[in-house]
Amino acid sequence: MDLLRRPPLPTFRSALHEPRTAVVIGRWLGAALLTCFLTGLLSHLLQQPPGWLRDHLPSRPVDGYRVTQGLHVISGIAAIPLLGAKLWTVYPKLFEWPPVRSVPHALERLSIAVLVGSMLLELFTGLLNTLQWYPWPFPFRQTHFWLAWLAVGGLLLHIAAKAPLIAAHWRRVRPGLAQRRSFLTAVTVSVGVVTLTTAGQSVPWLRTLDLFAPRRPDIGPQGLPVNRTAAQAGTTTAPADWQLRVDGPRPLRFSLAELSQLPQFSADLPIACVEGWSAGARWTGVRVRDLLDLAGAPAGAGLRVTSLEADGPYRVMEMPSSYAHDPLTLLALRVNGEVLDPDHGYPARIIAPNRPGVLQTKWVTRIEVI
Amino acid sequence: MRTFRALLIVAGLALTGFGLYGVLTDHYIDFADHPFDVLRWAVGGLLLHDGLWLPLVCLAGLAVARSTPVRTGLIVAAAVTAVALPAVLRAGQHNGNPTVLPLPYLRNWLLVLAAIAVLTTIWTVLARRRRRAGEHP
Repeated sequence: MDLLRRPPLPTFRSALHEPRTAVVIGRWLGAALLTCFLTGLLSHLLQQPPGWLRDHLPSRPVDGYRVTQGLHVISGIAAIPLLGAKLWTVYPKLFEWPPVRSVPHALERLSIAVLVGSMLLELFTGLLNTLQWYPWPFPFRQTHFWLAWLAVGGLLLHIAAKAPLIAAHWRRVRPGLAQRRSFLTAVTVSVGVVTLTTAGQSVPWLRTLDLFAPRRPDIGPQGLPVNRTAAQAGTTTAPADWQLRVDGPRPLRFSLAELSQLPQFSADLPIACVEGWSAGARWTGVRVRDLLDLAGAPAGAGLRVTSLEADGPYRVMEMPSSYAHDPLTLLALRVNGEVLDPDHGYPARIIAPNRPGVLQTKWVTRIEVI
Repeated sequence: MRTFRALLIVAGLALTGFGLYGVLTDHYIDFADHPFDVLRWAVGGLLLHDGLWLPLVCLAGLAVARSTPVRTGLIVAAAVTAVALPAVLRAGQHNGNPTVLPLPYLRNWLLVLAAIAVLTTIWTVLARRRRRAGEHP
């Protein structure tokens, strides 16, 4: 039986490699990951709604996407120290001997490998995406989406496998371990510090503490950040003969001057980016539903909006009826009292409540009633 | 408990299967032609974390992190570094969009590390004084 003799594997001295510590940190991590997963799923549904859902997406609350996507990035960043602490706590389990005791045990270990591998890559790609940094060969959005299902599936299997252990250590046994208390304090402080120094990109009252977030909501042209600049989109100068084409039962064309002659409305709406940052501004322009009425669109009509940009996955955007008829949804010509900067979509852009920033089409040239 | 676990296993398998199906069939990921792209990064991350990072943490725990203040300071510093390092490394590279990474990340990172070091030192000194006071009342 020499084969089964334990090789010189590392030994661990800390008293904290034990179930109660793993359960406490696991609960926090589980909450963060579940928040991250659900808000991420919502973001995918809002960006690319399946047919059956498209007409039921609500345009309210105005700040809905701002809050959920802000939470997505906040919970993802909070999960980084939590995952680190959790994996350190259970690290000795990696060296358990014999490595495999039975078929279920082998499957459990395999599912943990899938869980940890997908979770590490998920947090890594998510963090780097907020910086628009893509050093890997695969597409970000699709990989981040599918890995999330693998990670959460692995998490559920892990909870199922460990359920008796989790239940046995769910409640605190007094007296508590002093070391554990100080370790959990250190982990809590870590989560607090990384949250406070990054959440300012989406939480206005934390803005002054924004030290490490890739955005500051007040830095950018006209005091607003930009996801894609006019130079990147090739729309730095709008064509001199720019006209807005509205294709509906009554086709219309408007020059910029004619658009500004139409009744103007203002709305305080946030730009809320899928990368987690958000910034509020006061937008002024023509109500989209007024344009729909002028074009003779039937009740319940949606829109297809086309941008001047030559390419890009969001050049053409579809807007369901609920957003198109919301009185706050504007074809904006001005922001915070000034004519739009080219980076914000001059001559005209869409701004709607409760929608991902990539769907707030800039440099609009055509609106079709669909 | 048994029903709860069975439900979790069914749901876990369903989600894992769905994720696997997505990774394998998504035509942007194109697993058939690039089978090792995602795999290499997932396995690579696992190996780096468990084979390099955690041994370093354990060694640091044995070598330097002997007291609670030092251990706490190192844990917080590691967490801050994990979150801030990409921005520090990437500062200034924004692909022509100056609203991405507009802050002095290296300076901010060093300032936060310095603050952690100062607080750790103060805590260490206070703890030592309290212990000494306890020994000689």
